[in-house]
Amino acid sequence: MGLPLFSAHGDPGPSFWHYAEATGLATLPGTAASDVPHATTVIAVRYQGGVVMVGDRQATGNYIASRDVRKIEPADRFTALAISGSAARGMELLKIAQLSFEHYEKMTDSALSLEGKANYLSPIVQRNNLTSPLLVLPLLAGWDQSRLAGRVFEYDGAGGCYERADFATIGSGSPFADGALRLGYREDLDREGALELGALALYEAGDNDPSTGGPDFVRNIFPMMVVVDVNGFQELPAAEVGERFRLINERRTESRGVAGGSLR
Amino acid sequence: MTNYFYVSPEQLTKDRAEFAQKGIARGRSLVASIYDKGVVMVAENPSASLNKISEVYDRLAFAGVGKYNEFDRLREAGIRWADSTGFTYSREDVDARALANYYAQHLGDMFTEGQKPLEVEILVAQLGNNLRPTKLYRVAYEGTISDEPHFAVLGGDAETIRDRFALTDGALHSLATTLQNAVAALAGPDRVLPAEDIEACILEDRGNRRTFLRLGDDQVKEFLS
Repeated sequence: MGLPLFSAHGDPGPSFWHYAEATGLATLPGTAASDVPHATTVIAVRYQGGVVMVGDRQATGNYIASRDVRKIEPADRFTALAISGSAARGMELLKIAQLSFEHYEKMTDSALSLEGKANYLSPIVQRNNLTSPLLVLPLLAGWDQSRLAGRVFEYDGAGGCYERADFATIGSGSPFADGALRLGYREDLDREGALELGALALYEAGDNDPSTGGPDFVRNIFPMMVVVDVNGFQELPAAEVGERFRLINERRTESRGVAGGSLR
Repeated sequence: MTNYFYVSPEQLTKDRAEFAQKGIARGRSLVASIYDKGVVMVAENPSASLNKISEVYDRLAFAGVGKYNEFDRLREAGIRWADSTGFTYSREDVDARALANYYAQHLGDMFTEGQKPLEVEILVAQLGNNLRPTKLYRVAYEGTISDEPHFAVLGGDAETIRDRFALTDGALHSLATTLQNAVAALAGPDRVLPAEDIEACILEDRGNRRTFLRLGDDQVKEFLS
């Protein structure tokens, strides 16, 4: 690989994706079989002062392929990016997003806006999903440094990007998570409230969707819980997450598997 | 009918070198030095937005003097090269020597084959770790690459500034001392550089993957006081 110099009219600018396409560095979507590991639940909940993300850890094909996958990663200091669908395409999307946001920052000496990051992923998702059977759907949440608020963006299969004012879910377990969120969401949620609601919604999904991994008390593997606020991306320690799910599990055991009258 | 005049290679090289040197001498200079915890790059630059120093990768920085439009294209090419190398292989495979060599080849090609040589001088700095050493590679306008053991001076007045800085350069000093020495060497005995005219960046391990940090005017003032 030589020094990538461009003339002024052929310059791809600070976009890594456009540069990668121009030079053939990006891989073209293949036509492999679609029995790749997928299925997921990831939840994003806005609250006063930030956004909470909760995601399961299981990769599922025809059987459980892995129990400790990380489906939420920091895309940069103030942005969390989660993936669902094809693991391979999802991991590549994560890598491209992380690289692209940093690339832009280095090229221009200024960070992309949160909306800029959300829009940037649209054509990448579109290109992948319209040309490959290996579908991928991301979920982007972050702290907007100009609006001073947490914001959530979800995508549809054609790459459409939609901002959600309250919460969003992706993956096969999302109908169950959505149900819990719709019952429990309030505009005045604080950090603790959002974490509690997010954990409950994920528990519901893990309880009902066979390809979403709930808390695994045998192996001590628990869903990922992430907060993005004015201080940036923070992942909750596994011990704290384990304790939250242990409490939910105890309450559910008392009421024989159901919430038992109130969302808890 | 076109008349061709014979120009000897010696004369051609001399003319081109003079042209490049003149162009570079029009701009302000830059000092880069290794200090006890990292690498500091200090440039005299009255502009707060047209930078001479830039982050390239986790442990790599770029600095350029001379014509802004020419070295900024090289800076962008360097970032693209580093990001695509790290994307293709691994982040730890991005190496300063490889990048400095590419710059040297390009500058050498432009010097001999271009319409005119590039009026720039380039520095590629690398913060060492257990895989690679801390390095300062200076690449001159004609493609000469030099591995500077302790500090490097780029720009028109390089000889004088090098002599001034060399006097203060013994063992590795703290960031504050190194920055003070660099600013004093850039300013010379008859001038005082205000913090607003100084662009200073460091490569230093601060517990993050990325080690590059641009020092603000307030930080520079604090170090110089």
